[in-house]
Amino acid sequence: MTDKQDYRVADIDLAEWGRREISIAEHEMPGLMATRGKYSDEKPLKGVRIMGSLHMTIQTAVLIETLVDLGADVRWCSCNIFSTQDHAAAAIAVTGVPVFAWKGETLEEYWQCTLDALTWPDGSGPELIVDDGGDATLLIHKGAELEEGDDWISSDSDSQEEQVIKDLLKSVNNDNPQKWTNYFKDWRGVSEETTTGVHRLYQMSEQEKLRVPAINVNDSVTKSKFDNLYGCRESLVD
Amino acid sequence: MISGKVSVVCGYGDVGKGCAQALKGQGAQVVVTEIDPICALQASMEGFRVLTLEDTLGWADIYVTTTGNKDIIRLEHLTAMKDQAIVCNIGHFDNEIQVDALNDASDVTRQNVKPQVDQYTMSDGRQLYMLAEGRLVNLGCATGHPSFVMSNSFTNQTLAQIDLWENRDSYVPGVYVLPKKLDEEVAALHLEKIGAKLTKLTDEQADYIGVPSAGPYKPEHYRY
Repeated sequence: MTDKQDYRVADIDLAEWGRREISIAEHEMPGLMATRGKYSDEKPLKGVRIMGSLHMTIQTAVLIETLVDLGADVRWCSCNIFSTQDHAAAAIAVTGVPVFAWKGETLEEYWQCTLDALTWPDGSGPELIVDDGGDATLLIHKGAELEEGDDWISSDSDSQEEQVIKDLLKSVNNDNPQKWTNYFKDWRGVSEETTTGVHRLYQMSEQEKLRVPAINVNDSVTKSKFDNLYGCRESLVD
Repeated sequence: MISGKVSVVCGYGDVGKGCAQALKGQGAQVVVTEIDPICALQASMEGFRVLTLEDTLGWADIYVTTTGNKDIIRLEHLTAMKDQAIVCNIGHFDNEIQVDALNDASDVTRQNVKPQVDQYTMSDGRQLYMLAEGRLVNLGCATGHPSFVMSNSFTNQTLAQIDLWENRDSYVPGVYVLPKKLDEEVAALHLEKIGAKLTKLTDEQADYIGVPSAGPYKPEHYRY
């Protein structure tokens, strides 16, 4: 692995296997494929920097390639330390989309992956975020609050993970004390996938801490009444 | 084997409903725990027993947390479960089950069986199995949701990204949902694949119920 390599996956040689499964999944994802058909000429997301923090699975690979097809400049990480399918991550990484995800990350690695996916090679940040659980949104907001003098990172942590986030933000702050504040100049919104992340967004909005528009995708009927219900009905017993 | 076992589903929201159906489909006896009387009544009407977690200790075999809240299965529950119980979580975060407290308990020993399966032995010899360290079990121990259902979710994601970008100058910070018309479009895109044929509303029928014949078909407050 060289310094120039702008991705981090478990095994890049799994890409061919991942590609075969992505091709199969495309047949089962007619909504995404129709969206490509409808918008790929127009490219409504042309050049838009999109960061995703969402389980790096085969299905997510089809989402990523849809965003790329619509013109976006995408970087990705997973939103859970165990949820990545390594062959899916490899298949996406070889297409040139920077992916930072593997199955079995430590908490330190997980948050580093989130940071890496949020940071373009020229130091800029995302213009849009696809979030699942709200971790990317949380990191940027907490980072900006720190830069404005908030002392959350010095408070006692309720969990090991909370301490990991604080340590990461401290180290970022030492290197670049304006990083997150600058991010808000370009960041134009987030679409949130899940109940938990949406709950966080409404809390932030009530406390007037939310600084960007957020679309609650979870409460589209075709999301929560299908994914949450029929998805779990099928995948729980797998 | 799940069939015949007593399974406890903590929470009966959309995720809990899916999990309870899955376990029932496998032939398990399903018990639901709930804090919301509406969801508790729904579970009861579907034929599930609604009890507290404490009621189930000592005789239930499988536990699944689906709540989105914290501290659902606590250390005092874990140490009082029936021998060989299986415990897992399908909610987004790993704080529904007090795994850290179990790891730190001095009279409990932990042995890894295989990736994402840990066996814990209590001081009296009873054992339980924790899946994926209490993190999202369907992604930790399997490969998550099927493609077809994720296509619905991710088509919404893609439309949300386009909407946020195209209207970036008019949006102000806040939380929004996509318009119902787009929701209906997402569903429509998935019907052909599974051979479903929509019936068309006539103009007279549309007038009669007061909706446009091309949709949206339901008022915003409709719950599906």
